[in-house]
Amino acid sequence: MEKSKSAATAQSGSDVILSVRNLKKHFPITSGFIIQRQVGAVRAVDDVSFDVIRGETLGLVGESGCGKSTTGRAILQLHKPTAGNVLFEGKELTTMAPPDMRRMRRQMQIIFQDPFASLNPRMTVGSIISEPLQIHNIYPNKTERQDFVESLLQRVGLNPYFINRYPHEFSGGQRQRIGIARALALSPSFIVCDEPISALDVSIQAQVVNLLEDLQQELGLTYLFIAHDLSMVRHICDRVAVMYLGKIVELGRTDEVYDNPLHPYTQALLSAVPVPDPTVEEKRQRIIIRGDLPSPANPPLGCNFNTRCPVEFELCHHAPDPELIEVTPGHWAACHRVTQY
Amino acid sequence: MEKNVLLDVKDLTVRFHTQEGVVYAVNGVTYKLHEGETLGVVGESGSGKSVHALSMMGLIPRPPGKIEKGEVFFEGRDLLKLTDDQMRLVRGKEIAMIFQDPMTSLNPVLTIGTQITEALRLHLGMNNSQSRKRAAELLDLVGIPDAHKRLDDYPHQFSGGMRQRVMIAMGLSCNPKLLIADEPTTALDVTIQAQIIELVKQLKDEFNMAMIWITHDLGVVAGLADTIQVMYAGRIVERGPTREVFTDTRNAYTWGLLNSLPRLDKSGGRQRLVQIEGSPPDMRIPPTGDPFAVRNPFATDRCREEIPPLLPVPEGHPEHFSANWYDLRSVVKQANAEAKGS
Repeated sequence: MEKSKSAATAQSGSDVILSVRNLKKHFPITSGFIIQRQVGAVRAVDDVSFDVIRGETLGLVGESGCGKSTTGRAILQLHKPTAGNVLFEGKELTTMAPPDMRRMRRQMQIIFQDPFASLNPRMTVGSIISEPLQIHNIYPNKTERQDFVESLLQRVGLNPYFINRYPHEFSGGQRQRIGIARALALSPSFIVCDEPISALDVSIQAQVVNLLEDLQQELGLTYLFIAHDLSMVRHICDRVAVMYLGKIVELGRTDEVYDNPLHPYTQALLSAVPVPDPTVEEKRQRIIIRGDLPSPANPPLGCNFNTRCPVEFELCHHAPDPELIEVTPGHWAACHRVTQY
Repeated sequence: MEKNVLLDVKDLTVRFHTQEGVVYAVNGVTYKLHEGETLGVVGESGSGKSVHALSMMGLIPRPPGKIEKGEVFFEGRDLLKLTDDQMRLVRGKEIAMIFQDPMTSLNPVLTIGTQITEALRLHLGMNNSQSRKRAAELLDLVGIPDAHKRLDDYPHQFSGGMRQRVMIAMGLSCNPKLLIADEPTTALDVTIQAQIIELVKQLKDEFNMAMIWITHDLGVVAGLADTIQVMYAGRIVERGPTREVFTDTRNAYTWGLLNSLPRLDKSGGRQRLVQIEGSPPDMRIPPTGDPFAVRNPFATDRCREEIPPLLPVPEGHPEHFSANWYDLRSVVKQANAEAKGS
């Protein structure tokens, strides 16, 4: 029963805020008109386990379609998981009754990627930020609520004077600040940041990242930081998990993973990121991996990565997908090459 | 040893006359591109980096767009003075362009083969079988397996990276002298981006083309371009050999961008990123002075009043230009000293 041996669990004694165990999210593929039957499943998230420690930033990285965003949403029960457990502050979320879940959401919020699509264009900034307060009946008094919203705006670096403006009056970076203020309104302890800076201009990204870091320090927040910008992840995250085709292939302390990547996918991914320094670029050896990401509806037999892996061998094609194993303390990898020797 | 000038852009100025007012998109862009040179044009959205290239190619919608003034000499001919028919003979043959989004720049209802052979038949006068043979060679060249069969496939049957390869094959089909790549890897994943960059580098040498690579990612051009040109608010603010721009940065905007980027190859140690305050200007109401002055901690009174011209940098590489009234080296030194003192 103890499959969670491969859970990339935190060392005993650390204060775990969120435990994800064998989480799966499969989206059905249906066929037929009127009478639909399921003919397959997109295995967006396929047996993912990890812990998030209170106060840390855990990065979740991978290419598009690897299931990183779906993982974030399945944790928050925005997608109902197909299987597995999500324990937040020791409480099981997957089986929680809706009213309890709603109360739970005060403590766990999300910041979305697209600051244009995630704010209702017909609502003022004030009503966007105060909506969660009304739903959870915090600050029932209207003036108190307004004061609180103004203080939130100030906190995220916006002029409180903007409270009656509409989202289209703001730039991308300012909109992302509004999204952050909305996520902070209920004083959560855990925030899923789903690619919060990908849609922003380079000169604005640093502003938003600095804000997120300041807020974390002041409010003791825990972040699950989903991103594909590996340089930014190195900067902001304490630990990082690398996903490929719905599975975590490597997890460890950020510097450890970046300086000493164990999984061939992580190695290729890191070597593919361009560095803004011509001297470094000249000397770098790129590992170019062949081909494209296989379809998560029809993952390859054996190891998920064997179709593109530069170091695959016989075992990778017929043995079951390698398990995530702790190679050195706190550094986990799922690769036959690594675990064989 | 001096290579021939292929493209000579002089004082290119483009405005868009919209209902909300006049957008000053490109303001007096002047530069030369030599044969075989790779130029990296770097800037944020709205900096005019794409619009300046589209204007040269006659691809901006007119109206609302209007080329107010300027000349673009390509092999001695002013592209802006050509008729539409003449321009059509240049586009695709002499100058090819690949775009950011390979999903929307391919026609979904025509096969890949039809789309690649179109240019071959039109520009090179090939017949059906010749052009199909050449198209298959091109697909093979850009690394699409089973090229002959894939000619009859439609764009949706290709992945994003493969579509961008198809676009590159189309761009190369008539051996252009200049390839303009407008954010060609922005929509792609980083491993696919690495594949495409590697491919382009190799093909560029094979075809002996000049290239303009437009991007917002300083990392991409660091390993690719011979010359870097940084744009802000429709102007070139710094331009020079790649190494000079990165190591001997003279413009506060370039400097700010480079400092705000976290590094993959260095542990951050949780140090705060140096951020550029504020946001890019609204180009409907361009500021009177240096457009970057409001965000620039080193701005002087002169910066706020007068637009600085692009001039050779003092005591630097002769090909290195920057547009600023201050000397970045001394103001940075001063700022560092003050930071230490306090």
